[in-house]
Amino acid sequence: MRKFATDTYAIFWREMMRYRKSKSGVLIRLIQPAVWIVVIGHTFSGTKPLIQAAGFDGEYIEFMAPGVIVLTAIFTSIFGGVNTLWDRRYGFMNKALVSPIFRSSLALGKMLAIAIVATLQASLIIAISLIIGVSFIDYAMIIPIMAIVTLFSLGFSGVSVIVAATAKSQEAFWGIINFLGMPLFMISPALFPLELMPDWLSSLAQINPATYTILLIREMMTGVESGIPVSLSLGVLGVFVGAIILVAGWTFTRDVSRPF
Amino acid sequence: MSYTIKTDSLSKRFGDIQSVDNITIDVEQSEVYGFLGSNGAGKSTTMKMLTTLLRPTSGSARVAGYDIATQQSSVREHIGFVQQESAIDEYLTGRENLILQARLSRLEPAVAERRIDELMETTGLADRQHDATVTYSGGMKKRLDIASGLLHRPTILFLDEPTVGLDIQTRHRIWEHIHTMHKEYDMTVFISTHYMEEADMLCDRICIIDQGKVKAVGRPSQMKENLEQEVINMRSDNAVLLSDNISSIDGVQDIRRTNDTLQIHVSDGPQTIPIIFQKAQSLNIQIQSVSMTGPTLDDVYISYTGHQIREQGPEPRRKRRW
Ligand SMILES: Nc1ncnc2c1ncn2[C@@H]1O[C@H](COP(=O)(O)OP(=O)(O)OP(=O)(O)O)[C@@H](O)[C@H]1O
Ligand SMILES: [Mg+2]
Repeated sequence: MRKFATDTYAIFWREMMRYRKSKSGVLIRLIQPAVWIVVIGHTFSGTKPLIQAAGFDGEYIEFMAPGVIVLTAIFTSIFGGVNTLWDRRYGFMNKALVSPIFRSSLALGKMLAIAIVATLQASLIIAISLIIGVSFIDYAMIIPIMAIVTLFSLGFSGVSVIVAATAKSQEAFWGIINFLGMPLFMISPALFPLELMPDWLSSLAQINPATYTILLIREMMTGVESGIPVSLSLGVLGVFVGAIILVAGWTFTRDVSRPF
Repeated sequence: MSYTIKTDSLSKRFGDIQSVDNITIDVEQSEVYGFLGSNGAGKSTTMKMLTTLLRPTSGSARVAGYDIATQQSSVREHIGFVQQESAIDEYLTGRENLILQARLSRLEPAVAERRIDELMETTGLADRQHDATVTYSGGMKKRLDIASGLLHRPTILFLDEPTVGLDIQTRHRIWEHIHTMHKEYDMTVFISTHYMEEADMLCDRICIIDQGKVKAVGRPSQMKENLEQEVINMRSDNAVLLSDNISSIDGVQDIRRTNDTLQIHVSDGPQTIPIIFQKAQSLNIQIQSVSMTGPTLDDVYISYTGHQIREQGPEPRRKRRW
C-alpha cells in the first residue's frame, strides 16, 4: 500500500515536472473557455426567460458558468492523455515498464496529474467568472466545487489515458478523443436546461457523467435546486470515477509497450 | 557454474517475420556478454523479451533466476535496461531524470542523492546536471541514459547498442565507463552491438546472431583462434592483377583489396607467402611490403554468417570484398 502510494507519486511528480516546464500551454488552453463564458454568456443573455421557464431564477451567465467550468475540466482532462502517447513513442513508457513500480500506479499517477492541472484551469475560469460579475450564494462553496471538479477530471483523464495507452495510432487517439469531447459537453445541461431539450437528447444526457457534475456545481453556486438529489449526483460521479480507475489500472497491466 | 540468464528456444514472431528464432543461450554471473549482429538480426527483440517488455511467442527464459513470463516483477527488480532509443525526459534536467529513475526503482531518497552525485561525476555531467536535457549533445544523453541504468545497481544491466551514432572518443569513454562500472559493482552486462571493435574490447564472450538465429558463441580470442586463419597484408604496384591470379592458390580463402593493399586470408601464412611471391615475379608485379596478422572478429563474423556486418561505424573502415 505504501509502495503503491510512492510509486503513484513518482509518476505524478514526473508529470507535474513536465507541466511546470510547459506553462504557456495553461494560458493557451484558457483562451477557449474564457471566450465561451464572455461571448456566449453575453450573447445568450436574452434567453433568460427561457431558462426561467425551466425553473432557473437568475442571469443566464450564472446559469452557464458552471457549464463552462466543467467544459474546461472536460477538455483539459480528455486531451491530457496525449502525454501517454508520446511516452509510448519516446522511451519513457518502456523505461517505466521495466521498473518494478505498479502498473496501476503508472495510470493513476498520470490521471492525478492531469486532474490537478484541469482543476487549476477550472479555478482560473471561476476567477474569470467572478471578475465578470457572477455571484455565488456562498463563496466558501468554491472549495468543495473544486474538489468535485478534481474528481470529475480524474474520471475523464482516465478515459484519455486508457485511449492513449491502447490506441493503435496517433490518428486513432485524436479521432476517439474528438468524438468524445464535444458531445460530452453539448449533450449536457451546460448551456441549456435539460427541460428544453428534445426527449431523446435529455435521456442521452442522463447517462453523461458531466450532466450530474454540472447540476451539482450549479446547485452549489446558485442555491437553485436542480431536481436531482445531491447524493445521486455524487453517487454517479463516484461510481464513474471508481470504474475508470479500475479499467485504467487494468489497461496498463496489458501490452502498452506496443509500438504504433 | 551459475547462470544469470538462461534461455530455452526463445522465439518471437511478428506476423510473417520470425524476429527471434529458437535462441538458447546462457550468460554467466558477472560476465560481459556481447550480442553481435547486423540491423534487424533480432538483438533488440531478444532484449525486450528478457526485460519483460515483450512476451515470447514460444520458448522460455530465466533472468536473475526468475521466469520472464511468470515472475515479471521479480525480474524487473533485478535488471537495468538502457534501450537503443534514448529514454531521457527532455522536459527535465539531467539530475531530475536521475531522480525520476531513482523513484521508479524505489530507492531511498538519501541513497539516491548520494549515488546521483557519484554518477554525475563518473559520467562527467556534473557541471551540466541542472540544465534541461534538450540542451545536451547526443553523447551526453547517452551517458545520462547509461547512468540511469546503473543507478539502482542492477544485478544484470542490459545495454542495447549503447554507442551507436557516437564519435570515437565518446565511444571510448563509454566503454571505459561500462568497464569500470562492471568491475566496481560486479554486475552482469548483456550488451548488444554491431561494432566489432566494441564486442572485441568489452566482452568476455560474444554471441553472433543473424536473422534471429544464434550462429556462434565463444570468447573473442578463442573464436579468432578457431578460425585457423591468417591474414597477409600485401602492398604491390598492381594489386588488382595480383589478386586475380592468386585466388586459386591452395589455402587462399578470401581476398579483400583496399587501394594497392591486399588482405589475403589464408589457412597457413608462412607456407603461402613464398608461393604468392613466385606468382608476383612471374607476372612482373613489384611487392612493396608484406606483413602478417591474425584474423579479426570481422573475419569470425563473416565466416559464421557468410556476410559482413551491413552497417559500419562512423569511421570509414569499409573493406571491399571481391
Ligand atoms: N513490433 C514489431 N513489429 C513487427 N516487426 C518487428 C517489430 N519489432 C521488430 N520487428 C522485426 O524484427 C526483426 C528484428 O528486429 P530487432 O529490432 O530485434 O533487430 P536488431 O537486431 O535490434 O536491429 P538493429 O541493429 O537495427 O537495432 C526486424 O526484421 C524487425 O523488422
Ligand atoms: Mg536494435
